[in-house]
Amino acid sequence: MLDILKDLIYSSGAVSLTGGNLVMWLVSFVLLYLAIKKQYEPLLLLPIAFGILIVNLPLTFLMEPEHGLVWFFYHYGIELDIIPPLIFLGLGAMIDFGPLIANPKTLLLGAGAQAGLYVTFFAAVLFGFDLQEAASIAIIGGADGPTTIFLTSKLAPHLLGATAVSAYAYMALVPIIQPPMMKLLTTEHERKIVMGKLRPVSKLQRVCFPIVTAMAIMLMVPTAAPLISMLMLGNLFKESGVVERLSKAASNELMNIVTIFLGLSVGATMTAGTFLSPKVLFIFFLGLFAFIVSTGAGLIMAKIMNLFLKNKINPLIGAAGVSAVPMAARCVHKVGSEANRRNYLLMHAMGPNVAGVIGTVVAAAILLKNLG
Amino acid sequence: METDWSKVMEVFATGIIGVFVVMILLQILTQLSTRIIDFVENFGKGEESSPEPKSPTAPSKD
Repeated sequence: MLDILKDLIYSSGAVSLTGGNLVMWLVSFVLLYLAIKKQYEPLLLLPIAFGILIVNLPLTFLMEPEHGLVWFFYHYGIELDIIPPLIFLGLGAMIDFGPLIANPKTLLLGAGAQAGLYVTFFAAVLFGFDLQEAASIAIIGGADGPTTIFLTSKLAPHLLGATAVSAYAYMALVPIIQPPMMKLLTTEHERKIVMGKLRPVSKLQRVCFPIVTAMAIMLMVPTAAPLISMLMLGNLFKESGVVERLSKAASNELMNIVTIFLGLSVGATMTAGTFLSPKVLFIFFLGLFAFIVSTGAGLIMAKIMNLFLKNKINPLIGAAGVSAVPMAARCVHKVGSEANRRNYLLMHAMGPNVAGVIGTVVAAAILLKNLG
Repeated sequence: METDWSKVMEVFATGIIGVFVVMILLQILTQLSTRIIDFVENFGKGEESSPEPKSPTAPSKD
């Protein structure tokens, strides 16, 4: 009887617990708290937090190659690049490119914000990260979770958990991080600029946009194909109006299913061994730096554009050039309406916001081409 | 491991320039395609709203 009891105790995971496991439980509980209580990106943070918890329970072997359940999700979903493009398919079916088509100049704001990403790449190299790691950290500045996961899984898979959590955490913190930067880099007078109504966009223009964009970007940067093709296919589903079932499936059921597997797999990469290192702290710091610099670069780009434009734009919309859709656009609208009650910037900010999605994919694809 | 600074500069410069080139080209293409569509749609509308040529009146029997 005693032997059975002893055997039971020694074969349990409890005796194999390490201090690192306990710290990771704590990280998991903090993320669960943020997801459930504070509702910070709960759709992603909740499965990520649970993934961290279960993978740090000893002897479960959930991430054991060729055996563990979550390893199969990770391997087939992320390592083989299935999930991020599927997320983009759903995203495309939800995104309205209308404000961008109505004001194509805002594509430049989406490009401007990516400059911050390359500044961070430089900074990360100075901090001692190798080039592949630096690129994976820099892409956090794009504030685009699936693109961050796509690039990191190819260039520096050992950093996947940290970069993904960092990207989603900063996306959730847009209303806290961006306004001080917006106020710092713009004057009261600039924030008060009222922008005219956007011109109407016809259905044919909406249908042609994803086709033209997919062809143009994939011809110029073929490495962007997995993400951009799915993004534009999803958008074509939506705008064509003839495949409502597919559009709904992509933006609801499929998106929800892949989000579960994505969150769980990303969380499961965060074992104590890979996560508890000083490097991870630097990643969170550099991720924040990337996000702040990208926001600033977007604002400066808008101010530069104003030097040449007859009809001035409100430079605040440059901050929406990072691709945290639609949080960044909402944040711009809020800061703009605080400066001037007559200001309604939401739709104007949606242009650079969706341009930021395209810009981040292009930036990631160029990094992948150079370093992959 | 020593950092290859020439590679760092190459990635930095090609990255920034590359993103801008792609986005500017996309902007031009978007403007061009929307203008063409605007033109075609306005042309179609113009044709629809233009008064139809009067049908030749039937010759009076009187």
